[in-house]
Amino acid sequence: MRNLLHNMNPSVKFIAVTISMLTIAFFFNPWTPLLFFVSILLLQLTMSHINWKLWLLFMLPFSIGAFGYLWTTVVFGADTGGTIIWSFAGINVTDEQWAHALSLSFRVMAFSSLSLMFAFTTDPVKFILSLMQQLKLSPKLAYGVMVGYQFLPVMKDEFTQIQQAQRLRGVEVEKRSWQRIVSMRRVLIPMLAGAVRKAERSAFAMEARGFTGEPRNAYYRPILLSRTDVLMSGVFLIILLTSCFGGIWLN
Amino acid sequence: MLKSWKLKEVVLMSLFAVVFGIVYLLFVHAANIWAAVIGPLAYEWMFGIWFIVSIICMYIIRKPGAAFLSETMAAAIEVLIGNAVGPRLILTGVVQGLGAEAAFALTGYKHFNILVLMLAGIGSAVFSFIYGYFVSGYAALDPSFVALMFTIRVLSGAIIAGIGGKYIGDALLATGSLRGYAIARTKKGDMNA
Amino acid sequence: MLKETFSLNHLSFRFPDDQKATLKGISFSISKGEKVVISGPSGCGKSTLLYLLNRLYPDNCDGSVDGEVLLFGKPATDYAPGEINHRVATVFQDPDSQFCMPTVEDELAFTLENLQIPFDKMEARITAVLELTGLTHLRHTIIQSLSGGTKQRVATACALIMEPEVLLLDEPLSHLDPYTAKQFVEWLTDLQLKTQLTIVAVEHRLDSWGKFFEREIQLDENGCLVNDHLFSPKQPILFPERSISLQPKTALQVENLSVTIKNKQLLTPLSFSVCRGEIVVVAGPNGSGKSTLVKSLCDIYKPTTGTIQSDGTGYVPQSPEYLFLTQTVQKEVAYSGSSNPTDIASLMTRLRLDEICEDHPFAISHGQKRRVAIAAMLADKRPVLLMDEPTSGQDKAALLELFELIDQRSKEGTTFLIVTHDMEFAASIADSVLLIKDGELTGKFDAKDVWNNEELLESHHLLTPKGVDRFAESFA
Repeated sequence: MRNLLHNMNPSVKFIAVTISMLTIAFFFNPWTPLLFFVSILLLQLTMSHINWKLWLLFMLPFSIGAFGYLWTTVVFGADTGGTIIWSFAGINVTDEQWAHALSLSFRVMAFSSLSLMFAFTTDPVKFILSLMQQLKLSPKLAYGVMVGYQFLPVMKDEFTQIQQAQRLRGVEVEKRSWQRIVSMRRVLIPMLAGAVRKAERSAFAMEARGFTGEPRNAYYRPILLSRTDVLMSGVFLIILLTSCFGGIWLN
Repeated sequence: MLKSWKLKEVVLMSLFAVVFGIVYLLFVHAANIWAAVIGPLAYEWMFGIWFIVSIICMYIIRKPGAAFLSETMAAAIEVLIGNAVGPRLILTGVVQGLGAEAAFALTGYKHFNILVLMLAGIGSAVFSFIYGYFVSGYAALDPSFVALMFTIRVLSGAIIAGIGGKYIGDALLATGSLRGYAIARTKKGDMNA
Repeated sequence: MLKETFSLNHLSFRFPDDQKATLKGISFSISKGEKVVISGPSGCGKSTLLYLLNRLYPDNCDGSVDGEVLLFGKPATDYAPGEINHRVATVFQDPDSQFCMPTVEDELAFTLENLQIPFDKMEARITAVLELTGLTHLRHTIIQSLSGGTKQRVATACALIMEPEVLLLDEPLSHLDPYTAKQFVEWLTDLQLKTQLTIVAVEHRLDSWGKFFEREIQLDENGCLVNDHLFSPKQPILFPERSISLQPKTALQVENLSVTIKNKQLLTPLSFSVCRGEIVVVAGPNGSGKSTLVKSLCDIYKPTTGTIQSDGTGYVPQSPEYLFLTQTVQKEVAYSGSSNPTDIASLMTRLRLDEICEDHPFAISHGQKRRVAIAAMLADKRPVLLMDEPTSGQDKAALLELFELIDQRSKEGTTFLIVTHDMEFAASIADSVLLIKDGELTGKFDAKDVWNNEELLESHHLLTPKGVDRFAESFA
């Protein structure tokens, strides 16, 4: 039971997540995203084993974002009519505006929990392999992405090395964001020049091992579809329908 | 479409995506904090950093699909390296990539001057905004506020992605490391196109 | 009928961006079972030649080929993409960019999938090749966590799993330290005995290979074949003798320095001092704290305890371009603004940067980049220079130039601390040696006391420099 989300085929999970998200986007009542958010939480509590501390840490910025959304929508909400429920500093907030604001904030929470659910229960390598095996992603792209993924730690380290070396030359770390963006060019050029070199070397190494980008006949690690996927797709569908209709009904 | 692509070009797009993925992570933390104070506007100005990969890759490789593929790969890599925004980024990447690609396609993939690159940045901005309008429910916001968000995003696309992309592409070309890519071969012919 | 493995007939090759051909009129053939090395200075086109044998070129660079390339008696152009790679496998020079999968097993499986090997055969082949190469214990290890030497072994295993007829080696030792390189060659010798593979290697430093090869094909800097003869073991590079030029004045004084980062003590308290004009080699096993020491000396890492007093320390990383911030060599040297134009002009002349002063610092040769980095550091009034692995991947000409460069500067009063594994280079240039192990300073030794002390060197994973008698004599 606790493995169900982890054992789900990544492509199926990806499709389920995408469809859920696009569907929820049609709803502007506060209940639908709230119901969905709670259901995804329950789903994760019962069908996965994840590090909740880490989950909270990741959820925090989204919650902050959701709060930002809440007050922006209250202050800059579209004129919708309805009754004024409260006023503050000259801003009149109607019940409809308030409902919209809550809806959008809950939407941020719902989408974030959905994303985290995917991120916490999916092995990145299996995800790529599955995109290639189930969704017929071209091996050229799939393994291209895979190479990038392998290089991440190396390039992070390189990034630090370059920053350290440049600081030695008297380059200060800028405080303002836009200045930091502009000064980023100095680190970017050596990074990108290195990336060009690494790209060619890696591509040559792959081709020298007979990689042509053609679809493959057999996989050493077949990513399979199983009964779990049918079951879990059903679960997602039920959650989605419950949230949609439940939201309408509660509203 | 992928037949005409060399593997080294595909891997190049992927590694560029990693580089910008690292850069992006540095800024997204700052924006997250701002998001509480100024709401979704916090993210608007940095959208250009998102679009820049597709513009640089197209500027260097100059093959139909370069903008679309690189942006999509960038999003996929972002998911792999654990960006918490997760799978919906892939969809976002596809949409943004299509926006930039549309601009290049409009010019028949013949011109890669600053105006076209800025247009591509704007293309990404417009496409991503339409998508965001739907997914993030901008419809609930005041039209003038939406207009402000749109303006900032378009500016970010044109300036950070368009001008910035051209600047980085040219600076990289000057380092001599792009030997063997389309940009190095055609640089003379396209200066005033 | 026994066909030749490779046969080249008046082969010329030109890159599309170049006016001049990289390879000119090359003819030779290689038979089954031979062990051949293609040698020549950096940039002579020997790697290009190798890429024509495994069909990476001309397709990957749109270059133009003249003459005939026969692979197993068939024109190279008659092979479909990827087809030849089943029979000709390659190991490349950079251990960090040869893999696309997370674990050793996955990487081997990737290769088998490329060859369209049926699923039920894969397991047996992976087990067999791991057995053959002695890597069974690393089967589920993450490749990126392995050392450079082990990565090269994994790359070789990935080549061998294809059951090729020929193994191509593209400077496989150039990113390895001599100690690891020696182990790799021994391992490969053993493997060759077991498999009887045809081996064609490209290499510019042949002394590490001992008697591995049977035949040597030499190219000159213009890409012409100048020699095709029996291979004879090579002597290490003979560096000129130098006179000690240290001045009786302290340039760097380190007291009780220790570094702890994220609760991990990387350096235990150490003290030493260095004179002006002294050349110090810093050596020790990988991960022993050499880089940490260098980085804390030049203020990249903050010392946890202790003090560092110096005339001003500068840093030249293994990739000097990490330091570069501007678009021309001239601007790069003048960047800090600490020196007046006259001093900069004089520095430019002394470091032979005048003729490239308008070039882009990224677009010049590796040796030139290093000179620019040194000039920039000296212009910034940092006369104590810390160099990280400057010998790595350098050919003979570049090493002699490096020697000359350091020797000249030290005569002018510049102090050097050089991190290197290359004991031949160290023995020729060092006044003293700092040996480090597990974050502890074993000691600062007079150079001449170190080279004969095999036990001391071995315990720091260093090889006794070849031709050690010469050094013992010259210092006697």
